[in-house]
Amino acid sequence: MKTYLRLLALLVLVAGSTLSMSQPAHAETTLDKILKEKKLRVAIDVGNPPFGVLGKDGQPDGSDVAVARQMAKDMGVELEFVQVPSTGRIPALLAGRADVTIASISVTTDRAKTVMYCNPNGALSIVILAPKATAIQKPADMAGKRIGITRATLEEATVPKMAPQGTNIVWFDEIGATIQALLSGQVDAVAMTSFAGKTVADGNPDKQIEPKLTVTTAFYGPIVRPNDFELRQWINTWIFLNTQNGTLAAIYKQHTGLDLPTLPTF
Amino acid sequence: MHYVFHFDVVWDHFPELLTGALLTIRLSAIAMVLGLVLGVVCAYQASAGPGPIRQAIKLYVEIIRNTPFLVQIFIFYFSLPTIGLRLDANTAAMLAMTINLGAYASEILRSGIEAVPRGQIEAGRALGLSRLQIFRLIILFPALKTVYPALASQFILLMLGSSVVSTISAVELTAITNSLQSTTFRSFEFYFVATGMYLVMALGFRASFTALYWLVFQRGRGA
Repeated sequence: MKTYLRLLALLVLVAGSTLSMSQPAHAETTLDKILKEKKLRVAIDVGNPPFGVLGKDGQPDGSDVAVARQMAKDMGVELEFVQVPSTGRIPALLAGRADVTIASISVTTDRAKTVMYCNPNGALSIVILAPKATAIQKPADMAGKRIGITRATLEEATVPKMAPQGTNIVWFDEIGATIQALLSGQVDAVAMTSFAGKTVADGNPDKQIEPKLTVTTAFYGPIVRPNDFELRQWINTWIFLNTQNGTLAAIYKQHTGLDLPTLPTF
Repeated sequence: MHYVFHFDVVWDHFPELLTGALLTIRLSAIAMVLGLVLGVVCAYQASAGPGPIRQAIKLYVEIIRNTPFLVQIFIFYFSLPTIGLRLDANTAAMLAMTINLGAYASEILRSGIEAVPRGQIEAGRALGLSRLQIFRLIILFPALKTVYPALASQFILLMLGSSVVSTISAVELTAITNSLQSTTFRSFEFYFVATGMYLVMALGFRASFTALYWLVFQRGRGA
């Protein structure tokens, strides 16, 4: 009799646990997948100094890359870079080629319609850059000039709005082409981040390139696919901790030469 | 993975895509005509011209056919200004496409020219025709007919290859697509539609080439 009771108790237990297991089994989240595969796939743009560049050894380098490296290290997983052009930063993420894009993507409401932003991990300014001899002191001076901008960037979202009537805006797919257009005289001025502008000016002293106007200052942050709330929350936690311990500021200072402004959160 | 398609955004911007497609067609069509002419001239000079010109054409063909089209475009757009020749993006693109196609077309034509029986050329000589007359009357037409399919394929490839001219700010279909997808973030939708448009254009060109073949080589030549 006792044996029967025990058997019954066991059956009840088994049934109970099976029942609880048949509770809506959570679909595997992207965060689960990353932790299980021990691999974080990060889309980066290595054509965008000083955030992403290819170092002298051909390895990715820059502030975005440093952030990605530290993030993967703290997560305890292997890091896999998915190199994309600036136009590919959102498509690569949405297509599932990467789990997160860390490529200085400034926060805009339009972009937030298709991807989810994590909290900002840095800030950038967009400036109009031209040779010293080019007379641009105020936005109105851009009329009649050819201004080169790069597609899928903050400058594309802001410069056409502030440019006066008669400005000839010329679009390029990659910032490298935009820079070449300025250096070869195919455009009179270009719009890009102040850091990229500094790299261009420092690298070509004979052209006497200088910033003329500041178009806007914006914050940028990592993006994840819609509904990847767990991953977003983990990244936000990481950003919070690394803002507190100064890691983000140190990375920013090392690559841009500037102090990191106080980062807002949302 | 979960993704909701929003094709309505694409249809809102469809007129812009059409403008881009029109420029693609225009650039390609002009480059096809000019490139064919360049190819024929080069093929003639390569088969009948004086030695130095033959060598120069060989060099041109080898350089163009063994370097990336993208690099050629960059040279026309970014390097020519340093020697004082500043071309706008569309002109630079068209020129690069023409010169690129000229090299391929001349090489394709060469094989057609070599396929013309020697006896026919010798017959032309025996009749006292000049070199140019022999080329024009005896060689060119059968050669073009022989290589027509290969030439038509190269033309289509050129049209598809024109997508890279967006890198130098020419606003053809790919450039417009890139701009729209980067401002609306509906990349799948825009690339799907652009792919369809390229397919339609390629099939359209192919159909016109078939019609042209019939018009030029077959009509009234049954006898």
